[in-house]
Amino acid sequence: MSKDLLSRLVQRRTMLKAGLTIGALQLASPFIVKALGDEPIKIGLDNPLTGTYAAPGKNELIGCQLAVDQLNAKNGILDRPIELLSEDSTSGDAGAAVQKARKLIERDNVNFLVGNVNSALAQAMAQVSNEKGVLHVDPGGHTDPITGSDCKWNVFRVCNTTHMEANAVSDLLFKTYGKKWHFITPDYAFGHTLFENCEADLKKLGGTVTGNELTPLGITDFSAYLIKARAANPDVLVVLVQGNDMVNCLKQIAQFGIEKQIHDAGTQQELEAVEAMPSEARVGVWMFEWYWKQAAGTPGLDQFIAEIRKRSDGKVPTARTWFGYVTIHAYALACEKAKSIEAKAAAKTLADMELPPEIKLQPNKVYFRGGDHQLMLSAFIGELLQKGDGDPENLFKVNSIVAGDSIAPSVAETGCKMNIPA
Amino acid sequence: MLQLVFFNVTNGLIIGAFYALMAIGLSLILNLSGVINFAHGGFLVIGGYLAYTLTPYLGFWGALIIAPILTALIGVVVERLLIRRLYGRDPLYSLLLTFGLAFIIEDGTRQIWGANGLPVSVPPALTSPLSYEFFFITGYRMFMVATVAIVVGLLFVLLRYTRIGVRIRAGTLDLETVAALGVNVRALRSLNFAVGIFLAGLAGVLAGGQLGLEPTMGDGLLMPSFIAIIVGGVGSLTGTLLGGLLIGVASGLTAVFFPSASEAVIYVMMAMVLLIRPRGLLGEEGMFT
Repeated sequence: MSKDLLSRLVQRRTMLKAGLTIGALQLASPFIVKALGDEPIKIGLDNPLTGTYAAPGKNELIGCQLAVDQLNAKNGILDRPIELLSEDSTSGDAGAAVQKARKLIERDNVNFLVGNVNSALAQAMAQVSNEKGVLHVDPGGHTDPITGSDCKWNVFRVCNTTHMEANAVSDLLFKTYGKKWHFITPDYAFGHTLFENCEADLKKLGGTVTGNELTPLGITDFSAYLIKARAANPDVLVVLVQGNDMVNCLKQIAQFGIEKQIHDAGTQQELEAVEAMPSEARVGVWMFEWYWKQAAGTPGLDQFIAEIRKRSDGKVPTARTWFGYVTIHAYALACEKAKSIEAKAAAKTLADMELPPEIKLQPNKVYFRGGDHQLMLSAFIGELLQKGDGDPENLFKVNSIVAGDSIAPSVAETGCKMNIPA
Repeated sequence: MLQLVFFNVTNGLIIGAFYALMAIGLSLILNLSGVINFAHGGFLVIGGYLAYTLTPYLGFWGALIIAPILTALIGVVVERLLIRRLYGRDPLYSLLLTFGLAFIIEDGTRQIWGANGLPVSVPPALTSPLSYEFFFITGYRMFMVATVAIVVGLLFVLLRYTRIGVRIRAGTLDLETVAALGVNVRALRSLNFAVGIFLAGLAGVLAGGQLGLEPTMGDGLLMPSFIAIIVGGVGSLTGTLLGGLLIGVASGLTAVFFPSASEAVIYVMMAMVLLIRPRGLLGEEGMFT
């Protein structure tokens, strides 16, 4: 290579570099002059908007959005505005959920990750958020390991564990209905752990399991399982399937008249599902994770209901709406208290943090347990109503509101060994 | 145990009859036009939701007839505007189009009627079980089976004894010759598509009464219908009917012994048929190969 050519090349490279630098400066300049105060704090919501869990997913989004708007109307978080980025995780494709979580973290640089309604997807997302060191709240996937054997320093959960759900109703069902139980269980992570916990509770109480029908997620026809369940002649038919599967199952139970022969009950019940059922299918003892009709004077409750009604065509908030709402507010409180949005600092303050009355919207102490990052929220135990009492959406009669820590297994029992990196 | 098996065979026949209704509509469209209609579940959903909207005005019985007709009309519009352009091309094109259409319909339903499920009431006369012993045979399920039987019967009469039916059957075997003989193939395909979608709409109204409505309800019912066609044999409507009944019974029986495999068993059946008798039980050899 001749000297001339070399110098020409160098010149050209220098020119290119100079050009690039000027270009980059132009691109970067707005960020340099912009005060940090104007930079939004980004929250990534990776939850189902399509598929089986679209309805709960959308309600969680409405709850998140309300909290973001309320915070932005004041001072945001640490005087910075909040931006909520929502992605459709799908209802059952863990690959899609993980891909969206990576996109939110790597490309959009979110400071905080929220998701997922589906337990299996929540578990998969937790791997990603942990690897990337991003604070993450699971707003609705119930399977135990998330705040149990698979707990992580950056992952928190605002809904119950399946163990808490089983404990909430087992005693009552045993005393009221009898000791022979038959289960209809969804065949995935959530269903398996929920069944195991119910079975353990039942055995402790001295009862027997007459059978457990593992049903594929999204199945429409439950008749074959119901034929088997009735032949086993149990005292209680415990329905553990969720969402549309629950609607279909309870509807067919009513069509076959099984509810007149065997008591029907279950652990977790949701307003979204109850509203989708015809009145004759609304039977049995259940647990709600949060319920809108509570004693008058619960601080902040009326305002919350009014705000949600405005945003969802007059519909009342469900437990899912509350999960979304509480997730964002808890994150904001943690950052304010830590005076930082840095994940480790925020995680440290979130652990053991108690929620104030206008956020918790229920009686009893509601707080994150430091040992496993599980929110200790109340369980609303009662019976379904066939017709709305006072309001068409008041379809549940709450008999008792039990404190979360009274139904939660101890941290040691959950199997969680929290490793907080230095 | 014997009683349990007998119950599940009967129950499987009931479910299978419903799969067959969906599958025959799919099969009609596939046979004549070579379109693998992935949006069939979507049209089922449209039928169900239209019936829900019409019931306050027309009652259950009125909606049962009008909703499938409206669904068929929507089907014709879709066929004329979109699907017609892809006739004669590789079936992959229409498969991709209808696949996308299925998503559009699902999300459109969600936008119009909401993401949450809606309850559907059926006439009280049909709601109770016929006897204590046979509690799973309810009035509504019998009504569904009877409707399927009547509609499928009428369809077979239409195909066997009417001029249009003969043309459809002839077109299934050799469309080019039928066209060369002066039959308006475009109109024939539209009409055939409409009949297929009418059956999907009817299945939607019936499923709504049984299961309630929900934007994704078509998904769960579509796959068994495809499998019914493959098991029964592409090109044969009798085969499709048989395939629907067979997978219903297989699924019901498996639920007695291996509950969690009750869905997987129909895929195993499909695999076995494809390995041992690729054209399906009653399928024409060389069809779509």
